[in-house]
Amino acid sequence: MNRLEREIVDLLPRLRRLARVLARDVADADDLVQLTVERALVHRGQWRPGTQLHSWMFRIMKNAWIDESRARTRRAAVLSPEEDALHVGSDGAGAMEARLEVRAVEDAMARLPDEQRVAVALVLVEGLSYKEAAEVLEVPQGTLTSRLGRGRAALLAELQATPS
Amino acid sequence: MTDRLDRVMAYVDGELDDGARRAFEAEMTADPTLAAEVAAHRELAERLSEAYGPVVREAVPLRLDLAARTANDQARPRIGTWAAVAASLVVGVVAGRFALAPEPAIAVGIELPARTELARALDRQLAAEPGVVRIGITFRDAQGRYCRTFQSAADRLAGLACRGDGRWRVTTATAWTPAAGPDYRTAASGTPPEVLAAVDRALEGETLDASQEKAARDAGWR
Repeated sequence: MNRLEREIVDLLPRLRRLARVLARDVADADDLVQLTVERALVHRGQWRPGTQLHSWMFRIMKNAWIDESRARTRRAAVLSPEEDALHVGSDGAGAMEARLEVRAVEDAMARLPDEQRVAVALVLVEGLSYKEAAEVLEVPQGTLTSRLGRGRAALLAELQATPS
Repeated sequence: MTDRLDRVMAYVDGELDDGARRAFEAEMTADPTLAAEVAAHRELAERLSEAYGPVVREAVPLRLDLAARTANDQARPRIGTWAAVAASLVVGVVAGRFALAPEPAIAVGIELPARTELARALDRQLAAEPGVVRIGITFRDAQGRYCRTFQSAADRLAGLACRGDGRWRVTTATAWTPAAGPDYRTAASGTPPEVLAAVDRALEGETLDASQEKAARDAGWR
């Protein structure tokens, strides 16, 4: 493995997390990660060492997701029973409560328009600065903060009805 | 978008410079409503991190690990049948439901990286325990190595892996997709015939029963 490949392997957990926000379904999300990794390696010449690898790969993922969304009518963003069963742990009520909380957050996120959801994910989940997130989305910073504001307002309105 | 919301966000997200941050904090002390808004935004950020945070601690599917390390081999073979596959080849098979679905990569003959969920399941999981990976039969081959059959929903892969030099090595693999519906995890079988044939070839003696399997696992497969 060369250096870039090693860094991509190290980045896989974060790529999976962002993909999970975008695609929700675990298998779809992992497909998106695989696509992202394959595209990144095909276009490896475009990555400038010394720049943030995660920003570059998040941008590739965002573009792959847009292509994917255009390529099909997206399946209703619901968790299938099969998927649900994959998450069921053997541990009791506490785990169930945590699961319900995750479900509430995922539901609220799923109702956001894609562009707001990605903005929220990059800043609040991935911890990117406004500048970095705007670069990933290839939009001016004002557009990013506007999406971020609308997304957050909608999430707050929805989630305050189901306090953690 | 209101200026007020923009400023609350910028404060919570750590985007204000020192001077602006101090001014904002002074304002917050004087304005309990503003402080409450900040608290609500902090709580939202926390709930999002907690909901999505655990994903980064999950074991990574084998196919993603392989995608990162093998895609630079220009002549990456994509072959449909397994009979012709020599050791150490990475092979693609037709994938599932994602419109632009990539081909899941399958490696035969490679040592499984320990961080993959497949390696973790082979290490720890007992037969019929639920999970993204399911373990079927465990036995020892002619060389005395422990071998286990597996079905991995995330990798869309079923196969046989044997333990040597402290690592699991996939000796046989075939494309496999869980049957529709929630029942496949509890079904007794579902191991593809190619994998069962490989078991027949490698098996020396009897398969391990549940207590032998558990004992072997607890002893670290030594």
